[in-house]
Amino acid sequence: MRRLLTFKTLLVGMALALGGAALAQVQITYWHGFTGPDLPVMEGLVAEFNATHPDIVVTAEPIPWGNLFQQLEPAVAAGQAPDVVALNEDVITGFILRGAVAEMTPDMLAAADVQADRFFPSLWETGVVDGKVYGVPVHSVMLVMYYNKDLFEAAGLDPEDPPSNREEFLAAAEALTVDANGNHPGDEGFDPSSLQTYAVGIPTPWMGGTIAYAVAAQNGVTFVGSADESYAPNFDSEAAQEAVQFLVDIGAEHHFGPTDATEGSEIDAFRQGAAAMNFNGVWMLSQYRDAGLNFGVAAFPQLGTERPATWGGSSHLVLPVQRNGDPAEMEAAMTFIGWMTQPEQNLEWTSAGGLPTQPEVATSPEYAENPMSALAEAMSNTYVLTGFPFLAQFRGAWDAAFEAALHGTAADQALTQGVGEASAAIQEGLLSLP
Amino acid sequence: MSGPSTDSAAVAPAPRPGVTLRPARRGGLRPRVDGNPLEPYLYLLPHAVLFFVFIVYPVGFAIYVSLHRWNILSDNQPFVGAEFYTRLLTPGTPQFTFFWKTMGNTALFTVITTPLLIVCALGLALLLHKPIPGRSFFRAVFFLPTILSVSVMGLLWKWMFENRTGLVNVVLDMIPFTEPVAFLTTIGLAWIPIIVGTVWWTVGFNMILYSAALAAIPQAYYEAAAIDGAGAWAKFRYVTWPQLNPVTLFAAVTTTIASFQLFGQPHVMTAGGPLRTTQSVMMFVTEEAFTRFQFSSAAAMSLLFGVLLLVVTGFQFRLTLRDLGRGRA
Repeated sequence: MRRLLTFKTLLVGMALALGGAALAQVQITYWHGFTGPDLPVMEGLVAEFNATHPDIVVTAEPIPWGNLFQQLEPAVAAGQAPDVVALNEDVITGFILRGAVAEMTPDMLAAADVQADRFFPSLWETGVVDGKVYGVPVHSVMLVMYYNKDLFEAAGLDPEDPPSNREEFLAAAEALTVDANGNHPGDEGFDPSSLQTYAVGIPTPWMGGTIAYAVAAQNGVTFVGSADESYAPNFDSEAAQEAVQFLVDIGAEHHFGPTDATEGSEIDAFRQGAAAMNFNGVWMLSQYRDAGLNFGVAAFPQLGTERPATWGGSSHLVLPVQRNGDPAEMEAAMTFIGWMTQPEQNLEWTSAGGLPTQPEVATSPEYAENPMSALAEAMSNTYVLTGFPFLAQFRGAWDAAFEAALHGTAADQALTQGVGEASAAIQEGLLSLP
Repeated sequence: MSGPSTDSAAVAPAPRPGVTLRPARRGGLRPRVDGNPLEPYLYLLPHAVLFFVFIVYPVGFAIYVSLHRWNILSDNQPFVGAEFYTRLLTPGTPQFTFFWKTMGNTALFTVITTPLLIVCALGLALLLHKPIPGRSFFRAVFFLPTILSVSVMGLLWKWMFENRTGLVNVVLDMIPFTEPVAFLTTIGLAWIPIIVGTVWWTVGFNMILYSAALAAIPQAYYEAAAIDGAGAWAKFRYVTWPQLNPVTLFAAVTTTIASFQLFGQPHVMTAGGPLRTTQSVMMFVTEEAFTRFQFSSAAAMSLLFGVLLLVVTGFQFRLTLRDLGRGRA
């Protein structure tokens, strides 16, 4: 009995102590999807914030992106939403328009020391709808070109000057593609079925769609109309057809690579030194480095005709709508968002593989060590697929259209079909907006 | 309101002469209960609670969602009636096109995989029924893949069948007169990694069922058959196979249902490609709900799919029960 009493006293004492601490501190939760090699870096940043802000305790919950997006709206509806969430460029507009995300007023942003002009404009715009700010960029990625320096040298190309436009790309690709008998495409007796080394394969479906998106953006394609035009898809233009046809021809016409590439087979072929070039995201850097390759990273070449462009993606910190909002928690959440997106934190975050979200970091001497720093110019040429709520509807149809073209459907026919699929899906999506 | 028995007695017409009212029934709705009449229902309660919370309520809610333009954060959820169902039955809509296309894909997978999983499991069980050395070891080897998660199994077979660089293609490239095959991106052939992987992954479970059933067949039947001059095939055809019928029914029904719910294998291996030819109906429903956020449409699809699955299973039950000689033919 006596022992039990002592135990009870102890429990009450602990509860009081905890309660006392909770009174002085604001507890907030933060959901994010950085569950890969970037997880320890994000956890380190959160720990640093907690150490430097004794009045706020942030509990970070890493949740795979797909699950996070599924759970957010039910959590908001149930009044159980976290205080801060990271959302990606392809879903953020939908969440904003469906009413899951709260606006950050100019006063709130100023109090949290967040200035719009510090960020790359296209990144910042991703978190803005109708002039209202909903998200602050925290993470950025883009499509780049990896190339094998040894294979470039063997083909008589300058390993420090990879192709940056269509002409250079075609010339380099011809030199880099060699069949079992040492013949290049165009040589007499060239056998495309026995490629010894090759330039690059264009894969299906998602990565292929991403590459096609970048080249179409280089051709000036806008993909989907504005909100006033009910987001009517328009990616069946001649410029889009040209981009798709060019990519299909790399394998089918020029034989600069296999016609049955997948993203996985291209990664393998690049790691094994069979493919001289690989188009993929910045996130592949550590994997290729670990493979012990002598490789370089360059901006995605301008294979289109109008302007330099590449695919970009990003993550943004947002405030989910709270049913019973506590002003102190919202203020703490803004303090956290402001701190996390400062240049120092952004620089630390780039060690995990993401790109800088702000020019100041991209040009800082500390970042110059990072192999991606050579791509500073490309960072201002990313065309982020965002800004309308039915991105998945568009993107699914675009990927399918490009896949059909790679499988032999004529480019115009594949794109017309894709536009039909996308517009039906987008029209239905419009009906479902609150 | 009074109890049902008094009620019906009050409303029931006067009994016709010669007809006995309430014939004595054996084992009817009112079994002999010596203790508290509520007792049997208390035993049923734990499962009933789970059943209502996790089956009845969600299905009811899904019906509500499918009849409204439902958005979790919206204040008004307008009633649209059967709109999402009629769309599934109207040619030309994206839902019609892709739901039935993926439904066809799933049916194709089921039709190929279910017999394979029955035949292979029975074959393995028969082989391992013989008293060979290392029998338990091989049983364990064939059963072990069952414990893997679908993502592990999917990645494994994706690597094996990867275009150009997968083990299968490297071997095909080395053997003279064979060429590498683009399994993952060729329409039709993309099913091969999915089906091979699925059989490898799940055959062990059916094999264990058959092993247990084989061990339960009385040896006397075989001795009697041998006296009648039955060979190995006749023994299998007239003793083993009929004795295994209940297990075959169980395995066929569970395998069919599991096959119709195909999701993870194509999700990991082919992402539904090439050109949606390996996308399963569950993948499409998930895409509609969680990628396109069209919950009402997805709810209508999953309910329709559930009904179709019920029909298939009911049909299967009837067929096999007739075979067993216990059902109404």
